[in-house]
Amino acid sequence: MTEPVAGARKVVLPPHRVRAQRPLGTRAREWTRENLFPSPAQAVVTLLALAFATAIVALAVYLVLAAEWRVITVNRWLLFAGGFPQDQEWRLWVSVALVFPLIGAAFGLWASLGRRDLLFMALAAGFLFFLARHGDAGWASTVWVAGSLALFFAGYLVCRLVPREPGRARSIATWTAGGALALALPAVLAVLMAAGGARTNEFSGFMMNLILAPVGIAGGLLLAIPLAVGRASSLRAVSWTCTAYIELIRGAPLIGWLFVALFILEDVIAGDLIVRTMVVLAVFTSAYIAEYIRGGLQALPHGQTEAAQAVGLGRTRTLQLVVLPQALRISIPPIVGQAISLWKDTALISAILPLRELVGNSKAAIAQPEFIENRIEVYVFAAVLFWIVAFVMSRVSQRMERSLGIGER
Amino acid sequence: MARTRIGLFAVAIMAMVAMVAVACGDDNDDGEGGGGNTLQTVIDRGELLCGVKDSQAGFGIVGADGIFSGFDVEFCKGIAAAVLDDASKVRFVPASAANRFELLSSGQIDVLIRTTTVTAERDAGRAVDFAQTTFYTGQGFAVHADSGFNSTADMEGATICVQSGTTTEQNLDDHFNELGFAYTPLGGEDQDTQEAFVARRCEVWTADQSNLASRISQLENPSQYRVLGQIISKEPLAPGVRDNDSEWKDVVNWVVYGLINAEELGVTGANVGAMASNPPNAAVARLLGVAFQGGEVANLGFDVDPQFVQRALRAVGNYGDIYERTVAEVGIDRACTLNALYTEDKRSCPPGSGGILYAPPYR
Repeated sequence: MTEPVAGARKVVLPPHRVRAQRPLGTRAREWTRENLFPSPAQAVVTLLALAFATAIVALAVYLVLAAEWRVITVNRWLLFAGGFPQDQEWRLWVSVALVFPLIGAAFGLWASLGRRDLLFMALAAGFLFFLARHGDAGWASTVWVAGSLALFFAGYLVCRLVPREPGRARSIATWTAGGALALALPAVLAVLMAAGGARTNEFSGFMMNLILAPVGIAGGLLLAIPLAVGRASSLRAVSWTCTAYIELIRGAPLIGWLFVALFILEDVIAGDLIVRTMVVLAVFTSAYIAEYIRGGLQALPHGQTEAAQAVGLGRTRTLQLVVLPQALRISIPPIVGQAISLWKDTALISAILPLRELVGNSKAAIAQPEFIENRIEVYVFAAVLFWIVAFVMSRVSQRMERSLGIGER
Repeated sequence: MARTRIGLFAVAIMAMVAMVAVACGDDNDDGEGGGGNTLQTVIDRGELLCGVKDSQAGFGIVGADGIFSGFDVEFCKGIAAAVLDDASKVRFVPASAANRFELLSSGQIDVLIRTTTVTAERDAGRAVDFAQTTFYTGQGFAVHADSGFNSTADMEGATICVQSGTTTEQNLDDHFNELGFAYTPLGGEDQDTQEAFVARRCEVWTADQSNLASRISQLENPSQYRVLGQIISKEPLAPGVRDNDSEWKDVVNWVVYGLINAEELGVTGANVGAMASNPPNAAVARLLGVAFQGGEVANLGFDVDPQFVQRALRAVGNYGDIYERTVAEVGIDRACTLNALYTEDKRSCPPGSGGILYAPPYR
């Protein structure tokens, strides 16, 4: 850029440069008008957003300055594990140590950790350390937390070494990790219950949510696949049965089905209420997921099936190798949505059933005389716990969508 | 191929058929559905399922360690000790106001001890029988100390905080209709009504008087509030069992009676051991199921052995011991209330007040 010389032609600046040369106050006013108040309707939206932001900031200020978190640290056992036998605490930690490296491996294989993920994890880890260190928790739980996080990163880093391109190494790694993930839930239940461990009716607190939701989601997915295929079947008896099932289950709210678990299933399924609740959650979820998978099936061009048959695949193999993999891939976003929804629905359980998950135990914590005025703290804490898990689920799904190329064609 | 297709969907069809078959089946082999013999069920199971509250300090609450405590919880333990000889063999099932009677009638709890008021409608209309009342309370009123309210006669046009959807709300309405007063109810959950009252969004707060007293004693500045002496309803709280199960009801009933009688006879949790080995009189010997002066052990015909009351006493102490450990801890005094023994010296009580706790003789 040369200095303008006297007599030279006047340089015509582009419009944004012209604007940039005007005084700051004018520019600020202009920016505000263009971006925040371009029309009366948008002005209303801006003001509403402003009010909302103010409320959030006020809550944040309250939480930082005035909140008393002792209610959480004192009640951390109640909130996380409730009636779980305290002398069996190691079983909880072993479960955590089992699951964390698997989640790390899943991240490593199918996604990658960005800067934002790391920041988020640092915050979550700091929070866990705070809880573990606070009060009379002692060093044991701190060591467990640190160890679990280290295992997460170990799982992640090891799986980062696996090449991204399809090949023998990758296929071995994905099958191993997938198998381990599928077995994680039974393994955790075994760790919690086997050889003198807890009984299912001693499950309580956040741990209950963390067990019920995955069972519901995994069970729902397994039930949903035959339902979706059955609904699309040309055999009337099959498709009608599947349709009736789906419409019946979707037609009533989850609360209604929880009542079914409480009072009606009792005569059918021996065993305790938690098992019945798991069945209901899986059945409920399956009806929704079946519809998402049906959407995926219908989105597949007929040519796929025809081509598969043309190369000599039978119906089963066509379904297994050509149709379902594509249909399931298309359905991932709504399935994850349903999973997140079910995750949050587990907060309903204490309201209906005599089981105590996080929200139920939160109410008990607030009822303690010394913490009667700390209910905002307790509910914010519960909300944050729910949010952390929902956030992880949505991040994983986003990463999966990207790496599977969903929506790119 | 039709055959492969059928094979493919076999699983789905079988699942459906299984579900329908299972849904139609009515194999109720656990024998828990109403009536029946709960006593035998409890003994066979080796565990008592007790429906309690999990969020009311003093009566039934879960502590930071996840363990239940409170007045109602103690009675559960007493019954477990009486029947199973082990006060720890209780599973506490958190029952809500909405599902408590269904939990009982569907056999998911053996006994309901959850601050439940005995009413005619519940006794007659629901599948529940009530045992002896364990706690007498009534609907009372709390006001700010600087207000001029001394009874509901002063409360024309007042704003009153009341828990929504409860008998409390109905009682309030009945009472003010009778007085011919208008008032503004401010509804909400238990906790909301307290906060609204403290924040002076209402002038009066109504709930069970014992509940008001205990909650106010926990507030930052209890002297700013007053609980009025007036009571506008009777709320006797009693254990509930399933209809038509008399052996079980007898046991629950006489554990409660037994703990009350023990207090009257001077048997406490601390001295029950000494009393059992050397009973001071025949009444104590009968209560504890031991022989008196070389005589026979009285068998009164319960379906449990004669020492069941003694076991309950060893586990939780007498009625007064339980009261001191639980309800008194949250600031509800016993003296001169309905829950004092009928033998209480009433000369020190305000006129018209005093204990009515009275158990039939154990003989």
